[in-house]
Amino acid sequence: MIEVRELRRSFGGVKALDGVTLTVGDGERRAVIGPNGAGKTTLFNVLTGELPPTGGDVRLAGAEITRLRPWQRARLGLARVYQRTELFAPLSARENVALAVAARAGPYRAFRAPPRSEYAAADALLERVGLAGRENAAARILSHGERRQLELAVALAQRPRVLLLDEPTAGMSPAETARITELISGLDRALTILIVEHDMDVVFRLADRVSVLHEGRVIADGTVSEIRGDVRVHDVYLGKAVSVA
Amino acid sequence: MSPELLFQQALNGLSFGALLFILAAGLSLVFGMMDVVNLAHGAFYMLGAYVALTVVQFTGSFWLALAAAPVALGALGLAIEPLLLRHLRGRHLDQVLLTIGVSLVIVDQIGLIWGREVRSLPFPPGLDGTVVLIGGVYPVYRLFVIAFGVALAAVIAVIYRRTKLGMLIRAGVEDAEMLGALGVNTDRLFALTFAVGAALAGLAGVIAAPVFGLQPGMDVDALLYSLVVVVVGGLGTLGGAVAGSVLVGPVDTFGKVLFQEFALAVIFAIVALVLLFKPTGLLGRIRIAR
Amino acid sequence: MTRAARWVALAAVAVGLVTFPYWSAAWETSRFATTVLRDMLVFAIFALSLDILVGHAGMPSLGHAAFFGGGAYAAGIASQRLGTDQLPITLAAAVLVAALLALVIGLLVVRSEGIFLLMLTLALAQIVFAIAFQWTAVTGGSNGLAGVSRPTLFGIDLSAPDRMYVLVAATFLVVSLLIWSLMRSPYGRALTGVRENERRMRALGYDTTRLKLSAFVVAGMIAGVAGALSAYSQRFVSPGDAGIGTSVQAFVMVLIGGAGTILGPVLGAGVVMYIQRVLSSAIPVSETVLGLVFIGFVLLARQGIVGLGRAAYARVRAP
Repeated sequence: MIEVRELRRSFGGVKALDGVTLTVGDGERRAVIGPNGAGKTTLFNVLTGELPPTGGDVRLAGAEITRLRPWQRARLGLARVYQRTELFAPLSARENVALAVAARAGPYRAFRAPPRSEYAAADALLERVGLAGRENAAARILSHGERRQLELAVALAQRPRVLLLDEPTAGMSPAETARITELISGLDRALTILIVEHDMDVVFRLADRVSVLHEGRVIADGTVSEIRGDVRVHDVYLGKAVSVA
Repeated sequence: MSPELLFQQALNGLSFGALLFILAAGLSLVFGMMDVVNLAHGAFYMLGAYVALTVVQFTGSFWLALAAAPVALGALGLAIEPLLLRHLRGRHLDQVLLTIGVSLVIVDQIGLIWGREVRSLPFPPGLDGTVVLIGGVYPVYRLFVIAFGVALAAVIAVIYRRTKLGMLIRAGVEDAEMLGALGVNTDRLFALTFAVGAALAGLAGVIAAPVFGLQPGMDVDALLYSLVVVVVGGLGTLGGAVAGSVLVGPVDTFGKVLFQEFALAVIFAIVALVLLFKPTGLLGRIRIAR
Repeated sequence: MTRAARWVALAAVAVGLVTFPYWSAAWETSRFATTVLRDMLVFAIFALSLDILVGHAGMPSLGHAAFFGGGAYAAGIASQRLGTDQLPITLAAAVLVAALLALVIGLLVVRSEGIFLLMLTLALAQIVFAIAFQWTAVTGGSNGLAGVSRPTLFGIDLSAPDRMYVLVAATFLVVSLLIWSLMRSPYGRALTGVRENERRMRALGYDTTRLKLSAFVVAGMIAGVAGALSAYSQRFVSPGDAGIGTSVQAFVMVLIGGAGTILGPVLGAGVVMYIQRVLSSAIPVSETVLGLVFIGFVLLARQGIVGLGRAAYARVRAP
């Protein structure tokens, strides 16, 4: 579904991505892990088109998308949950989701109130992520955990083929983390998911395969159990950050 | 166009460019340091010219006016920054809007104090003549403007590179908040920056007055040209102000000769080209368009 | 108040507004009041159109007078050159020219934001002013365009002051309703999305550049309508109509009244026109007063009169 070949991106002299090659199959759930500064968020920014790469290419379902604008990639089915919450603060939860629902429809209706079906779809998604009853609350008054749930609902409203999750559980309480993990794990198996996450429990719970990014390169790639046993991975990351039983 | 005329127009262009540099340097400095585009810059320029008019009326000395106007404008800037802009620190757009209000007040007050008819400032004695250059007579004052602009650029460059103040300015343009973290009194630095910007606008007003006269609307022209210069040259850098003025001055002058009433369309074309192909301006680092 | 009651009240206000010259006819000041109110409503339309950009889409523009002036000149020139006073023809000319200008300027500025957008709109619009000021053969140059004829519509001559007023007031109502419905539609909501978080909108699949450009053109067209109304009302177009003074005037109206609302720009137009047309005959420093009022709102009440009203209402309701 996603093929990344020799992707490079440097900032000044710093190589944030130094030739990343990665293939994620249809319906696969792939975690990208690595220490801070390994290039994970840069990788996501290049995948969504927010940053142009300095080299390499990206394919989505076989189609070359390296030069497409972010909104064109979104229309092709690429959705993203940001690490830092990116919502429309004064709009209600329902309107936040409805914006994503309507994005597919375009050209946008003018001079008439939004169709009811749009809000119905939004409400259904809000219920699915556990925000039933919060439809009318402005995004800015939601709790951190609720905002992350709303982010997920917004991304799902895009009806994506590929979902990029950038630390979906960052800053969440253990209970909230468990719930959002449950939620992600229960998503349609046809949906391809790429997830960046520091919480190894979440990674091992959600991912089919894991890619380890270090200094802008993929240094290991394998199933969850292969990665657990990989010595190099322990050296650069797991050994220092988390104990893996 | 004959070679003599071409040469004269080239000098005119350079002279206008030198004036634009004096004008734009202040705008660019304030933006570089404070991230504020001072939309009262044209009003400051206008006020400088009128202050000079009064000084010349009372003392008869252009040179005294050339010193007094920047001092007066500097003092005004030194008052406006802490009184108004400081309260909106960090809200750059609102600070810019505030300068619109300042401009409205200043221009209205100028009209009340000095009247709204066209006035003129005589050329200073000694610079009111002409010289013969390449087969044509040329006004000395315009050569003086070129020399003054070049000298000012040199002085600013030396201050930038060789003094502690210059070091602070360069660091501030890079990241003004970091200066605060390093223990620099940014309140004082910003007030001073704004004052120097205002003083430079006032200086440009005095220099321009003998050539262009004094009239309502001169503030808008000055603001427009200084904005074009910093957009074309690049915001916040001395080099950008120089490059912008050296390009816009002659282009505008030749545009007026060749296209008369559509000269501004040439300027429009330059701005459009820069936006499309070099969104940072020629020598800038700040992108003004995505 | 129920929904229905609110509509009835609004309709009553609307009818009262349109018929103002008739029910105020007995007043001594009726003629003057009608003129001031007419000019205020012209500027209310103009300010409402600017607020589409400033308040709704988050695109602060200081060049909106280019479209107002463009519309005014187009209406005036069309009526003179084509020798017609048919409202549909001259108004269409105004809207078309304003739309074209907005498209050209918009294409260059929509990739910029905030302060940069402000600078660029100011600079580019001033070029429209310069053309109006200098292209004497077509625009009348610094003398302006005199003798613009008042329009006729369906054979009705609108040149009498009270009829001219009715045309302006009715157009104002139509434009307000139009903008109101536009802003509550998915299109308006998308503009709000752009204002709040353009990057996220792109990630959702919105072509935000096109959205912003379309907002620029729509706002420009409505400003063109206001410009045409100004030309008919004054029977005169001045290059100043396209100049920065006019842009600043509209911006001040939007900010004083309250950006991002329908009522705000209208109230702002009222306040500014009061200062400029009524107060100015009493004191000589009216522009200074306007500048100080504007500074006061930017410093202390950035949400404008509507924001102040909302805050006061919230305080009354929550004891």
